Amino acid sequence: MILLEIENRVVRETLDVRFATAAGSKPEPVTVIVADFDGVQYHIHNPGGDKTKVQVSIAMKFYKELEQFSALDLLRAEYGDHLCEKAENGYNVSLIYDLTSLPADPAARDLLSKKAASLKRNCFATVFMKYFEWQQSGETEHKRAVIHYRDDETMYVEAQHDRVTVIFSTVFKDEDDIVIGKVFMQEFKEGRKATGANPQILFSHKNPPLELQKTPGARSGDNIGYITFVLFPRHFTSATRDNTINLIHTLRNYLHYHIKCTKAYIHSRMRAKTTEFLKVLNRARPDSDSKAQKKTITGKTFNK
Amino acid sequence: KNQVRNTLDATLNLQSFDSQLVERHNKPEVELKTSKELLLTPIVIPKSETEGVLIEPSVNSLRISIKIKQSDEIEKILTKKFTRFLCQRAEQFKILRRKPIEGYDISFLITNTNTEQMFKHKIIDFIISFLDDIDKEINDMKLAVNARARSTAENFLKNF
Repeated sequence: MILLEIENRVVRETLDVRFATAAGSKPEPVTVIVADFDGVQYHIHNPGGDKTKVQVSIAMKFYKELEQFSALDLLRAEYGDHLCEKAENGYNVSLIYDLTSLPADPAARDLLSKKAASLKRNCFATVFMKYFEWQQSGETEHKRAVIHYRDDETMYVEAQHDRVTVIFSTVFKDEDDIVIGKVFMQEFKEGRKATGANPQILFSHKNPPLELQKTPGARSGDNIGYITFVLFPRHFTSATRDNTINLIHTLRNYLHYHIKCTKAYIHSRMRAKTTEFLKVLNRARPDSDSKAQKKTITGKTFNK
Repeated sequence: KNQVRNTLDATLNLQSFDSQLVERHNKPEVELKTSKELLLTPIVIPKSETEGVLIEPSVNSLRISIKIKQSDEIEKILTKKFTRFLCQRAEQFKILRRKPIEGYDISFLITNTNTEQMFKHKIIDFIISFLDDIDKEINDMKLAVNARARSTAENFLKNF
């Protein structure tokens, strides 16, 4: 539970159920609208009322920014025939699965549903992949990528000659969050000493870090924080690349999730402590001491 | 600590005293401060530069204000949350005041009715143990937050 899941569990399970029933009995109609992190929406349904086909569509506010990094190419490579040429109305990307022509092997079906559930992650991956490629091939003239993945928060990716930097800007809506967020970032900064493999992480509170000083639109304020990841080539070799993308694109949600968990934990501790205090105080009241019940010989009971 | 206990012992002799201004009313004089002769001198017992206890006695009521040690930001917000939590339950605590006095973190108001209903030495015990416990609790919570932060960072980073 400490790490957030990369796939969307709802999409995965809906598809699993559909694929399983398709093999045997008549397929049932399906309509599901699911929201995911970062303002992303999934829609699963039967296009045109045709129960033998299931369409999975995703809507992301920032898809246009991803398109500049040839998002479609990567998605085509990943999903092959399942990718629709034209996305559904109001959505950015659609996949279509024909229940009658699914592979018989349950493991292969599992893989299909897993890939569909990772649709959001793959869209993010397009940006990272492009920058990893550019860094590896040594091209550094490409400008920085700016992706507004949430209303107030932006992600910047840049490739340099020996590294790729990813900068997240994040907003802390509550002022207590800021303090707890700072403690967390302190630990992230120092955590790298534990193992040598992880990337360098820097944190800047209120003002954008040096690299972004000249960028217009980079906000500053008391409740704004900037997290910088410095990724070295060993982080995006073909073996580690997927892992790195998985971890980085959910970082902002991971951080806020844990801040909220910490606050909930503090609350439950305080509640426990106040009940303890109350117990101690009530010891001071004489009439709350146990009433001794006494019986007379004849059997009548009375309170003393 | 002992000073607080002794002072409380001495000043907690409260008796019912009807209000001299309004007939038939019985109000805690320390809150109203209407008549000078009914108030005794306030006493400040500092534990260090940043912590202390203020005791304001009067003939029928006693006000104790505590300033808790808060050395860094996280202790500040923990204290703020905790005292707010307690004050919201002031009704149950009977002797707790809903708002602290200016410059202090939490205040207790003990009136003669409270002393009539509860044992005096037990009330004093409660206040003393409260002073200890609250410091310990704030420390514990700060350690818990730090430990949590460390383990989440570790878990995240070890995957690279």
